[in-house]
Amino acid sequence: MIWRFGLFDSTFEPLVTTHWALVIALCLPLILGLLAALLPPKKAWPVALAGVPVLASGVVLLVAVAQVQLLQWQWEILGVSIALRLNALSVLLLLMTQWIGFAAALYTPGQLRLTATGPLGRWLWPLMGVLISALSLIWLATDLLTLYIALELMGLAAVGMLLLSGKAAALLAGTRYLLLALVGSLAYLLGVALILGHWGRLDLQGLAEVVELGPVAWIAAALIGAGLALKAALFPLHGWLSPVHGNAWTPVSALHAALVIKASLFMLLQLWSILLPDTFYAPRLIAWLGMLAIVWGGLLAWRTDSLKTLVASSTVAQLGYLMVVFPLLLGPDIELLARSLAWEGFWLQLMGHAFAKAAMFMAAGNLILATGESTLKGLAGSSRRLPLSLLVFGIASITLMGLPPSAGFTAKWLLLQAMVMSQQWWAVAALLIGTLLSAAYIFRVFRYSFDETAPRHHYQPLAPGMDLIALTLALIALVLGLLAHFPLELMHGGGV
Amino acid sequence: MIASFDAIETLLALCLTVAALACLFDRHLVRACCFFIAFAFTMTLAWWLLGAPWLAAAELLLGVVLTGLCFFYALGIFSPDASPKLMRDSLHEPWSRAVARLVLALGWFVMVGAAIRYVIAEMVYSPTEHPLLLAGIIIIACALGAFALHRHLLRRLLAFNILGSGVFMLLAGVAGTSPAAQALITVGLCIAWLGSMLAALLIRQLLHLEGVEVLGHDGEPKEQAK
Repeated sequence: MIWRFGLFDSTFEPLVTTHWALVIALCLPLILGLLAALLPPKKAWPVALAGVPVLASGVVLLVAVAQVQLLQWQWEILGVSIALRLNALSVLLLLMTQWIGFAAALYTPGQLRLTATGPLGRWLWPLMGVLISALSLIWLATDLLTLYIALELMGLAAVGMLLLSGKAAALLAGTRYLLLALVGSLAYLLGVALILGHWGRLDLQGLAEVVELGPVAWIAAALIGAGLALKAALFPLHGWLSPVHGNAWTPVSALHAALVIKASLFMLLQLWSILLPDTFYAPRLIAWLGMLAIVWGGLLAWRTDSLKTLVASSTVAQLGYLMVVFPLLLGPDIELLARSLAWEGFWLQLMGHAFAKAAMFMAAGNLILATGESTLKGLAGSSRRLPLSLLVFGIASITLMGLPPSAGFTAKWLLLQAMVMSQQWWAVAALLIGTLLSAAYIFRVFRYSFDETAPRHHYQPLAPGMDLIALTLALIALVLGLLAHFPLELMHGGGV
Repeated sequence: MIASFDAIETLLALCLTVAALACLFDRHLVRACCFFIAFAFTMTLAWWLLGAPWLAAAELLLGVVLTGLCFFYALGIFSPDASPKLMRDSLHEPWSRAVARLVLALGWFVMVGAAIRYVIAEMVYSPTEHPLLLAGIIIIACALGAFALHRHLLRRLLAFNILGSGVFMLLAGVAGTSPAAQALITVGLCIAWLGSMLAALLIRQLLHLEGVEVLGHDGEPKEQAK
């Protein structure tokens, strides 16, 4: 498992261009965010122009990784060593972050103009910059200190963004989220303290060599797992998720559901694969919770009346699919082929869900903005007046339901294959039930929107491009299923 | 020399525990915040004693001065007379809730204690030789219980800060004051301060929008199932 995360020695030194690309990818979003706070952009084109170097840096890093598979950097500052690595997986996640971040940034000027957000609006930009920089750092970092710094920066920036709408309900939900996230990070820190005290090192690669299973590894993994599960809204700890999304601005919700939650999950899998390799019970527990999450999240989404709660609850259920795969990735006695299929399916599902969920939040935001109502019943008649927003919602839901040819389908196909191979029938059942439930709640949205009888009064016109940005993201999620062999081949090259 | 050193450390550990308990379970909010300042000041002395002067400076600046200011800002000491001030927490929790939270805190106490027992094996034979570590474990358990028990947002914020200090104390206890441990603790202090600042701003804004009652609206208990 360790080599899949790129935790081994690289044979190649990074080139000068990749140094620069790394600096740009990590620092430029932050700098641009601060600049935008001083001079808030009113149109989308300055944002598009400013985003080009960031996207270019991602492409340069992708090309470099495609050539040499693994790049590593290491610095020593005041006796503390900081290490980064870039393998196929982290470069794919980095690209995903940059593209979704770019789309959210492009969407923002229109949103700020149309919703009359007041003076708080400009603070969205620096927070978004911090968030994207911190996320990029999480995908790359390989020591527990850097991961801690990046996790906290990401968490605080995410809380700040969710609070910006300034309504009392948002503030209350946000305060609760803030306190829970802070306590979650203390649980993580306590786990790290045990690791540092027992094994005396923080770099993941070194830890992977010295860790042996025992009470310390178990308790450290439990503490880190509890903290990260709270931040990732894994099933029994998901209560804060829907209220927080209910009042947040659309690009904020999109970034949060697509990326922030995934970062905690990524860290959880990476750290557990070091602390608890080939254990039986811990991944099994996560998988059982994942099954409950699929059912419970699906039911919540099915019964709700609010469009945003529906999209947010569907995140809980979709995270369940990823949790169900844990025994295949971490458990003992799994065939090599089944494990590598599960590994590919896991990341494809994660990326497909990120793009689809960002698109879906944007489409839902467009629908709510245009109709002025946030309930499902308020959507009546929108099929004729807002066909494009509804189309985006539909394309995104193809991926979420896992219909061909989307990324969701390809990922589920890989996962099913792995589950059948290792005879985990209960996981197969969970996957099928989840698909049915997601179809149920998504078709409920369409039933309301094709209702023609409701009298329709007034539609707010949307800014140009708001639908197109969402459409692009939804199409990426769809095409990722057809072109899945590109990312999968890239990940294959990472070692064997 | 060694005996006197131990006496000072024991005294510090006692002071820390008492200040933490007073801060966590005093319903008079201004007094609780004063106890927090005293607690943070004792932490500064403890860092100094453990041979980490930089950490002591960071604790003095971030923990005592800046976080203290955040709390008094949240209480409304600095704001004009018209805005509501927070004086007492008058929310009462039902007994069933209190007992459940007590069990939760005890569970964590046992779990963390067991982990420490494996990390520092010799502690089994002489638990009193590490008074600060012992104080750290007790503070963590109490603060976690208080965080789960209280509904008042300011008291939960206080509990979070005490919990953080307990975790830092434990970190220094098991990992020593190596550069990596000091870096972790410094980052933790910065994050705790940023979080407290954000929460203090939020509490003020909520009071401004909704009045004092809103601070107790903490509905579903499932959110803290942990």
